[in-house]
Amino acid sequence: MADWQIDLIKVVFIWVWALLIAVVMTWVERRASAMMQDRLGPNRAGPFGLLQPLADGIKLFTKEDIMPEKARKILFLLGPPLFALPAFSAYAVVPFGDKIVLGGKEIILQVSDVNIGFLYVLALGAIGVYGMVIGGWASNSKYSILGGLRATAQLISYEVPMGLALLTIVLLYGTFSLREMVLLQQGTFLGFLPNWGIFKQPLGFIIFLVAAYAEANRVPFDLPECESELVTGYHTEYGSMNLGLYLFGEYVNLGTLAAITVSLFFGGWTLPYVDMSKFLGPVAYGVASFMVFFIKQAFFLFLFVWVRWTVPRFRYDQLMGLGWKALIPLGLVNLFVTALLVQLTI
Amino acid sequence: MHGTLRVITRTDGETILSAEPEIGYLHRGVEKLGENFTYKQFLPLTDRLNYCSAICNNVAYELAVEKLLGIEVPPKAQLVRTIMMELARIADHEVLVGILGVDLGALTPFFYLIIQREEIYEIFEWHHGARLTNSMGAIGGVEAPLPDRFHQKWPKMRDSIRRANDETDKLLTHNRIWMDRTIGVNAFCEEDALNWGFTGPMLRACGTRRDIRKDEPYLMYNEFDFEVPTGKHGDVFDRYMIRMLEMEESIKIIDQAYAMYQEMPDDAPLMKKVPKIIKPPAGQAYHAIESPNGELGFFIKSDGSDKPYRIKIRPPCYMIYQAFEELVKGEMISDLIACLSSINVIAGELDR
Amino acid sequence: MPRRPVVKKEYTLGERVYLVEIAKGLGLTWKHFVFNIKASFRKGPHTVPTCWQYPEDRREIAPIFRGAHMLMLNNKAQELCVGCGMCAKACPAKCITVKRGKRAEGEEAKYAGKTYSASFQIDMLRCIFCGNCESACPKNALVLGPGYELAEYDMESCIYDKKKLLANYHQAKAEGKLKPPKKPVPVDAPPAPKKPAAKKATAAAKTAPKKAAGEAKTEKAEEKSAK
Repeated sequence: MADWQIDLIKVVFIWVWALLIAVVMTWVERRASAMMQDRLGPNRAGPFGLLQPLADGIKLFTKEDIMPEKARKILFLLGPPLFALPAFSAYAVVPFGDKIVLGGKEIILQVSDVNIGFLYVLALGAIGVYGMVIGGWASNSKYSILGGLRATAQLISYEVPMGLALLTIVLLYGTFSLREMVLLQQGTFLGFLPNWGIFKQPLGFIIFLVAAYAEANRVPFDLPECESELVTGYHTEYGSMNLGLYLFGEYVNLGTLAAITVSLFFGGWTLPYVDMSKFLGPVAYGVASFMVFFIKQAFFLFLFVWVRWTVPRFRYDQLMGLGWKALIPLGLVNLFVTALLVQLTI
Repeated sequence: MHGTLRVITRTDGETILSAEPEIGYLHRGVEKLGENFTYKQFLPLTDRLNYCSAICNNVAYELAVEKLLGIEVPPKAQLVRTIMMELARIADHEVLVGILGVDLGALTPFFYLIIQREEIYEIFEWHHGARLTNSMGAIGGVEAPLPDRFHQKWPKMRDSIRRANDETDKLLTHNRIWMDRTIGVNAFCEEDALNWGFTGPMLRACGTRRDIRKDEPYLMYNEFDFEVPTGKHGDVFDRYMIRMLEMEESIKIIDQAYAMYQEMPDDAPLMKKVPKIIKPPAGQAYHAIESPNGELGFFIKSDGSDKPYRIKIRPPCYMIYQAFEELVKGEMISDLIACLSSINVIAGELDR
Repeated sequence: MPRRPVVKKEYTLGERVYLVEIAKGLGLTWKHFVFNIKASFRKGPHTVPTCWQYPEDRREIAPIFRGAHMLMLNNKAQELCVGCGMCAKACPAKCITVKRGKRAEGEEAKYAGKTYSASFQIDMLRCIFCGNCESACPKNALVLGPGYELAEYDMESCIYDKKKLLANYHQAKAEGKLKPPKKPVPVDAPPAPKKPAAKKATAAAKTAPKKAAGEAKTEKAEEKSAK
């Protein structure tokens, strides 16, 4: 098979996989939140409620698509795809696993290993902000406007701490490409700790995680769409599949951020002290590395759900204060200290 | 935030310039209906005022009519009334703390607290037959002694209520996000609070130590030993902490009342003899109790017939809601939500 | 602007760094999570604390629960209701309509009293389930039973006539959920004042002749029996 055909298959596979994760996440969110709150979640649609996402999807498809009378039509329809598509596209650079040998060819389990790596992800995240803002503005409703305003300020200001945390990673590893970063996280350091990003950059990890929550619009940072103040914020006026795009796009975004966290700080598809390629055949090794990555990603996705149902949410000015007055100075200090340490050890 | 309310706000970005509350969406003409109902028929209407703690409304009405008739209820009935009222107080505070959490984003403590309310409902059901709209007792006393369920459940229930409160405490009180959201928000002066007519936890949060159970005791409250938690700044955090502490005090009161109840003989009277058709002598009476929201008062004027001439209800949250604009002016939209939740404005009581 | 008191915030170090308290909160939710996952695999009703899987598990209803009404029969399967209309008078929502009928010659087995209720209607959409009708009934014929699943598809079915009320009784009896007889409440009554018998008979004769005659008859009978 030609290279482009393999890439096409990879693209389709990754697209379906991302959607599947988003769909299962709706189920996980409802069941896990219910288990934390002393109740059962959906358990009528299928065993353990596993067909509930399917029922939700059918419901969203068959509802009426309403547009407010005074809304700006083109922008109103442009908002959801502008939010969801960058979320899907960011999956293109995520390193899902190592090489797998199929039909004599060595295939890397990553759609494209560009050398700018996570800069691409950051850029797409910035376009995603447009989706929220345009959706909020074009709806011509006071709740949507407030949601859109808050979304703008929050997401743009939290891109700075995220960038600062990522800069320290670049200093450490010397490369932007995600695959090379994962490869550099093999082995141990200080004799017993695995060579993972979290042990070398604990403060950077915390800053990145907090900024990731803010970028994903999850509690405690979910002001653009909080339910008690703004009736679901920027997607108040949306129905049917437009709303579906917003909701699924949010979960796909979560998946992307979890995947990036795993690649940068938790060693990607490598196991801590064990080198799997030594005792597994080539096909099995590819599948095993894919599964290891998926389990780590699943843990972070669960962490998103877990924190959402434990913590109250910020007020708007406190959120901005946290971003600008706490995280950015911390990020800068982290950057200088890392730069110093890297300089001293090389 | 309970009920059908409307607040017309003008904002400058996120800061509130003016907030005009509009009430009356749940007005059902209860006071006017009272002029056409007999005294016994009016009792179920008082349930529907503050529906989170219906027993307190029932007892307040019964006490007002008994004051008009000039009778006093036998001690065993007073103890039963006290125990039921304190259970209703715990139930009301649990709902309030849960809803305050939900409005501020903490969705889990609500579930831990609401299951305790379910246990309290069970005791109500086995005592007089209804869970929410109780219509407990009658003018002259109580119609049944404490049910067996209470004797079985109370030792476990006091522990489970304390545990649910502890869990909510662990999740919220020292969490910096919660503290930032509630400390300093809607802080209110003591003098302003007294001028506006605040009573109950709102007034105690501002610093005045006034509790009708201590200052003008009714129903054997002067024999119980309990404290009155008082705040300092009148902000949302103080109101939340006062309600958490009041739940603990209620448990203490129920313990003491239960001990006194168990010493009474089984055939001690529970009702005072009142005629089947109650016709109080012409005159007027006002009696107020400390409901979970504040001072709930009933003014009844009688002209000698079997239907009252005029019933006026003093709802505690009406006086508090008047000051809503003063409370939230200059703050942000998120603070308006916190304020509306922590005031515990219940539309049934506000609009009658 | 209203005068606001100055609120000083002083946080401990553990509170300033958000993460310590958030981690404690996460630990608490994790404990609940694990407990509930184990509970959800157990068999039987109501294993997860706040969850009743209605309609498979139903809660136990107290015997004195104030639910849908029922008209009672006595041990001899006679209807107790005499159609007096006291319940209709006592109802705050004015939802009961009663029409009285006289018992005919051959219907002794059906009705306990000399009169019966020819038509008895309760509008359940107006009823507030207060129980005043139950307290007002002199024959303990109208009782609020344990039914709470009262939803219907049209408004006419929500007006219960006598047939439905009797059917409620039979259903409750079959399920064993009839109310136990009410225990009398000990009442703190002042002792009745002692009056001389003769004066009462003559004084009463002036005010209410019929009643006095009856009373005089009973008191004379008592005197006779005492003698």
